[in-house]
Amino acid sequence: MRRSWIALSLLVLLLSGCGYNTLQTADEQIKSAWSEVLNQYQRRADLVPNLVETVKAFATQEREVFTRVTEARARVGSIQATPELVDNPEAFAKFQAAQGELAGALSRLLVVAENYPQLKSDANFRDLQAQLEGTENRIAVARNRYIKAVQDYNVTVRSFPSNLTAMVFGFKTKPNFTVENEREIGKAPKVDFGKK
Amino acid sequence: MKLFLLALGLAWAQVAVPPLTGRVVDQTGTLTREQHAGLERTLQEFEARKGSQLAVLLVPTTAPEPIEQFALRVAEQWKIGRKKVDDGAILVVAKDDRALRIEVGYGLEGVLNDATAKRIVSDVIVPRFREGEFYVGINAGLDRMMRVIDGEPLPAPAKSQPGAQGETFQMLPVLLILALVGGSILRAVLGRFLGAAATGGVVGFVAWTLAGAIAMAALAGALAFFFTLMGGGAGRRYGGFPGMYGGGGTFGGGGASGRW
Repeated sequence: MRRSWIALSLLVLLLSGCGYNTLQTADEQIKSAWSEVLNQYQRRADLVPNLVETVKAFATQEREVFTRVTEARARVGSIQATPELVDNPEAFAKFQAAQGELAGALSRLLVVAENYPQLKSDANFRDLQAQLEGTENRIAVARNRYIKAVQDYNVTVRSFPSNLTAMVFGFKTKPNFTVENEREIGKAPKVDFGKK
Repeated sequence: MKLFLLALGLAWAQVAVPPLTGRVVDQTGTLTREQHAGLERTLQEFEARKGSQLAVLLVPTTAPEPIEQFALRVAEQWKIGRKKVDDGAILVVAKDDRALRIEVGYGLEGVLNDATAKRIVSDVIVPRFREGEFYVGINAGLDRMMRVIDGEPLPAPAKSQPGAQGETFQMLPVLLILALVGGSILRAVLGRFLGAAATGGVVGFVAWTLAGAIAMAALAGALAFFFTLMGGGAGRRYGGFPGMYGGGGTFGGGGASGRW
């Protein structure tokens, strides 16, 4: 009896000393950082219909731009953005590409909006634009925090002695946002209304 | 490795976040002393009344970072707003960049949402800044922000509870710092052992007069003795008392920016 207690406490000591708890904590941090990223992407997607409607009212003939935004929005919506997405590099890349496409389509939409002075001074449009800008900023923040969380985790998974623990318990390194995607998605649709 | 070096390079290039020396931190010398004090008082009263912390930061430039990134770093470092309530907001002005931003804590995102923040920036502040009226613009902007936040039901501000017991305990940190400072001086003057003994004696006496319990006083004296004896270069740790502490509020990039 006594021996089993000693063995148990030894095991506990061993586990906490070899990074098991650190791995768990880091893993959990990634999850919460990732759900914040998803949350903000969702917020952007939710803004799209309203934005398209508002621009449509002033810029009827820009059909091609509207279709592109609507399609990109639909593609983003069709991907099951579950927390488990993080563990599947392929699905992760696909998700990234879809979000990047939506970002691109939205920035085109705002460039087009530049040509319509009436639209630019519309209070509703200005509010929507402020919301979109804010959301793009939140996405950038959430992505940065996610990148940091994954870095911390991956370092733990790779460094000794926690890499042994990671191997035993099947913790694998996680995919992160790559630099190419960073450039593509990180381009926030920015239109300066302050001047002129 | 490359990425690490890149990150390191970026970290060097960034403008350092100035310390939170008060509710209004002006690194550009734009505000006069009276204006500075006036804003400080307004914000202090607002916090006492509503509980929400607001702060203002004026810097010359945030380059190479955009103001959004800089403002978030300021927010993450200052931690304006109450913990868990996250009801802080910071007005950041980069004077030479002609850019400003209202950074909004999580708890205020509902009432001071992006659209509202943007309106305050572009309708209230920017027109004044264009005319070079920085104080007027900041004052009007803060005024509008406070009126907006007043519409949000936030938890009441914590009241400080004065009491005999509370006061003694409030004295403890002061006593500790006095012991540390006094100890290092005495050590420098009298030498290590004598200085430590003197500090222990003084602290023990002070603790005795404050708390009245001889056992506790002896303990405090002994602790001070050992701290001073062991203490090395404790002289670099303290840098004056900041007049303001961030309450632990968190930010997620909400708010709005503008240029003039």
